[in-house]
Amino acid sequence: MAKTETLEDSFKKLDEIVAGLENTELSMDAALKLYKEGIKLVESCNSKIDKVEKEIIVLNGGKVEASNEDIF
Amino acid sequence: MEKKAYTVSAINKYVKNMFLNDGFLSHVYVKGEVSNCKYHTSGHLYFTLKDNEGAISCIMYRSSVQNQKLQLENGMKIQVSGRIDVYERDGKYQLYATSFEQEGLGSLYEKYAKLKEQYEEMGLFDPSFKRPIPKMCDKIGIVTASSGAAIHDIMSVSMRRNPYVQLILYPAKVQGQGASLSIAEGIRTLDAMGLDVIIVGRGGGSMEDLWAFNEETVVEAIFKSHTPIISAVGHEKDFTLSDFVADLRAATPSAAAELAVFDISLTLRQIDKYKNELDLRFASQLRNKKAKLDSYLKALKHLDPSLRVTSMRNRLEQKALYLDQTFFRLMDQKKNKLKYYALKLDGASPLKRLKSGFLYAENQDGKHIVSVNDIKVGDQIQGYLIDGLITSRVESITKNKG
Repeated sequence: MAKTETLEDSFKKLDEIVAGLENTELSMDAALKLYKEGIKLVESCNSKIDKVEKEIIVLNGGKVEASNEDIF
Repeated sequence: MEKKAYTVSAINKYVKNMFLNDGFLSHVYVKGEVSNCKYHTSGHLYFTLKDNEGAISCIMYRSSVQNQKLQLENGMKIQVSGRIDVYERDGKYQLYATSFEQEGLGSLYEKYAKLKEQYEEMGLFDPSFKRPIPKMCDKIGIVTASSGAAIHDIMSVSMRRNPYVQLILYPAKVQGQGASLSIAEGIRTLDAMGLDVIIVGRGGGSMEDLWAFNEETVVEAIFKSHTPIISAVGHEKDFTLSDFVADLRAATPSAAAELAVFDISLTLRQIDKYKNELDLRFASQLRNKKAKLDSYLKALKHLDPSLRVTSMRNRLEQKALYLDQTFFRLMDQKKNKLKYYALKLDGASPLKRLKSGFLYAENQDGKHIVSVNDIKVGDQIQGYLIDGLITSRVESITKNKG
């Protein structure tokens, strides 16, 4: 649960960073810092997404077993 | 024997009038089973109501049809409210229905309304208790029958939108005896697993079929759940009390899955978009800074000391040139003047005089003799001619008169 929250949080932060980078008064150091932070967030977002296909878990009398066949 | 014969229409009119004058037939309730049910394209509804011994044709006009919640189907047992009247064209009486309800369900509707009021008063439907559904759920619990359209729909939507989401099904009994207990148990079990969201529902059915979702055990389990709950009972038009107490009501199980399962392709695209935005913005920052730097460089160049030396040198060269020009001009002037004087001098040259036969005379002291007063008789005079020198002695002096 915390994992998904941070993905949403990351998006929020990325919105802020992108908005921040629009400020033309930004110093080069600050801009670079923001950019680096943003890229890091993008990478962490990508790695946060668990790309393993899941089979449905059917609870059976308290026991947990993965199965697709029982359903159809 | 002649008997008076009436026209068909006159007889029908007469009979119709009898019906109209009968207060009892002008408003009756009739119960029976529906057959020959036909929703006509005109919007009117035609059906036959029958019981074991008889049948009566029924018609409901469009204006009334629109107000009915129940969709009539053959075999349904209903109670119809309306009037009995004659259709003169066919010489046939029929029931003009204004409303109907499913027989026996009247009490179920009443029960539903009463329960709804009761839960409402208890504050179970209060919007302040509604929890938001997380936008990106990883684990989704489902309480529904393990066979049926609901789970099938949820799974296919989920697979299409995001196959990486973990679905966890609690197979529940969703209708009949013990259904509400099974559903409530399912909610409690899944709630204890710390999932992101739970979908509670089933496919469409009659009000009796959906009844478990109105029962207190289910409503209470939904209300007490710590996990946000999406209700998805029946079709768009079906409402159960679970829908009111749930954090979110989905019209159908498919819709519930759309709401619970975030679209992974959109999310991945969003991440890519962020990457692009970052690159673009940063590149523009760089361009900006570079432009600023360029303008500073330009400004600095104007202040460069070497530039000043060059400029001074240029000025110096100009001055030198000017000096030269002035000097040569002056020289030319002098030269011309000299020439002029030389010409003039040439005319006054003593040699030239000597050439034309003049004599240049000096006294003994080497002084030029210009007057007779410069010499005395007996003085020796040196005379210069053009080609030689003579020495002579003054014998006499004659002074010009005047």
